[in-house]
Amino acid sequence: MEPTQQVVNVLQAATVLLLSPLLAGVLARAKAWTESRTGPSVFQPYFDLAKYLRKETLLPDGASRVFIVAPLVAFGTYLLISIVVPIITPYPIPYASSVDFLGGGLLFGLAGAVTLLAALDSGSNYTALGASRTVSFAAFGEPTLIVVFFAVALITGTNNPYVTNNLLSSSTSAYLAPTHLLVTAAFFLLLLAEIGRLPVESAGLMEFGMLEDGRQFEHSGRLLGILRWNGWMKQFLLCSVFLNVFAAPWGMIAQPTVLGALVNVGVLFGKQLVLVAGLVAIEATVAKVRLFKIRDYLALAFSLAILSVFAFAVLGAP
Amino acid sequence: MDLSAEVLALIGVGVLLTSLFLQSESFVDPLIDGIALQSLLLGVLLGWLAWTEHSVDLAFLAGLTVVVRAIVIPYVLRRQIRAFRWRIREVHAANRVTGHALAAVAAAIVAWFVFQQTLATVFPQTGGALPFILLVQGLLMLATRSNTLVQVMGYLEEENAIVYAGALFASGFPLFVEVVVFLDVLGVVLVGVILSIQRDVTGSPEEVVLEELSG
Repeated sequence: MEPTQQVVNVLQAATVLLLSPLLAGVLARAKAWTESRTGPSVFQPYFDLAKYLRKETLLPDGASRVFIVAPLVAFGTYLLISIVVPIITPYPIPYASSVDFLGGGLLFGLAGAVTLLAALDSGSNYTALGASRTVSFAAFGEPTLIVVFFAVALITGTNNPYVTNNLLSSSTSAYLAPTHLLVTAAFFLLLLAEIGRLPVESAGLMEFGMLEDGRQFEHSGRLLGILRWNGWMKQFLLCSVFLNVFAAPWGMIAQPTVLGALVNVGVLFGKQLVLVAGLVAIEATVAKVRLFKIRDYLALAFSLAILSVFAFAVLGAP
Repeated sequence: MDLSAEVLALIGVGVLLTSLFLQSESFVDPLIDGIALQSLLLGVLLGWLAWTEHSVDLAFLAGLTVVVRAIVIPYVLRRQIRAFRWRIREVHAANRVTGHALAAVAAAIVAWFVFQQTLATVFPQTGGALPFILLVQGLLMLATRSNTLVQVMGYLEEENAIVYAGALFASGFPLFVEVVVFLDVLGVVLVGVILSIQRDVTGSPEEVVLEELSG
């Protein structure tokens, strides 16, 4: 492996690791603006993280080693994902060839599954409730994700996100093809569900709509800090994949240099700020759907994903 | 795919999405908006065809579609809703959104399969299956809904499918045939509205029977 590639690899992992709390901070601040509040500092997630890492970790009675190890395994998994998907480079970096779309989906699934195990291991009714809710809705979300992968594979003839990025950024007709537009819409609906935004979940409503946060009730101190960090990394990664592979594949510098990669970090964060504006606009205009209506929302995402494959069959290749 | 075909494909998928929305919506007001949007898309499609083929007939048809289907008929239906507020929502439809959406997708797939087996060789155009799929969607709506106004909208969707098919396959089709379709639609809407008013005023013997059977 070339030294430049090694540096780019490290830079990409560091981008996800260090900028993911900032994205969460910007999102919280922007949301506060729409509610006529000043809101917390954009660096608040870093302050929170520093606080969690200094605090004592308490373990519930009867919790096994899974309770401690699971957040760390999930953290490692998200870090691994951050060096295999297109985040700051439009060209594959060294480890990217080891994983395709399906592999990335499986890694996200692994991180989610071990977090669930930790929630169940605590023995608390509240975390078990959060875990069972998450699984109930994931059962509707996962088929959509698989169909999205099928549609992407149909567009490019491969399951490699880098190929998709290159094709979409170079071909307007591929970008405007109904299959791509529908699959982008389906993935966006899934993105909102996965990162816990309205209309699926509201972080302000801790009791009734709790899905993601419900699983973390029994964790404290460093482990809670790592779980929170995992959530921010997941959000950053999914937003990056949505932008670079589906919605806005343009703008990244293709030269495989460290300077080019550094510029791409800025490009990516600029794109993410636009996405944040979109997310905040959605949060300001839609209400949270009732818990059992989330199924309808996911059915819509699934229908769009199926239609994207269907559009390919009816209308042919772009 | 060239630009013209790509625009036709995009509008066609938009029409398909509106049909999916119509299947999964249980309130009548948004359904009227949906059918108006579908008709508007159809008008845009006809306008695009008129532009690319330099056809005055198609341009006239596009204007007629927008005025009659996207403005007049939705206006008549909205007046009905205002007159009878209880029609605003279909009874017991609240919990069927998921089922209806998935049934619509399944029906679309079956319709496409049937089209491929039967008509694909006769109509080889890109997106030629879309009007046929829209027809089946309208049929599904007629079959699964019990509200008269919603059934009228299912019929409108079927008529939209016929106009769509006419625009795609019968370029240069005599205009008066299309106008007959429009008058047909207008007639059905008026007759549907009059019949529903009559039923509200006089009552229907079937309703009594149904109530007896409902337990």
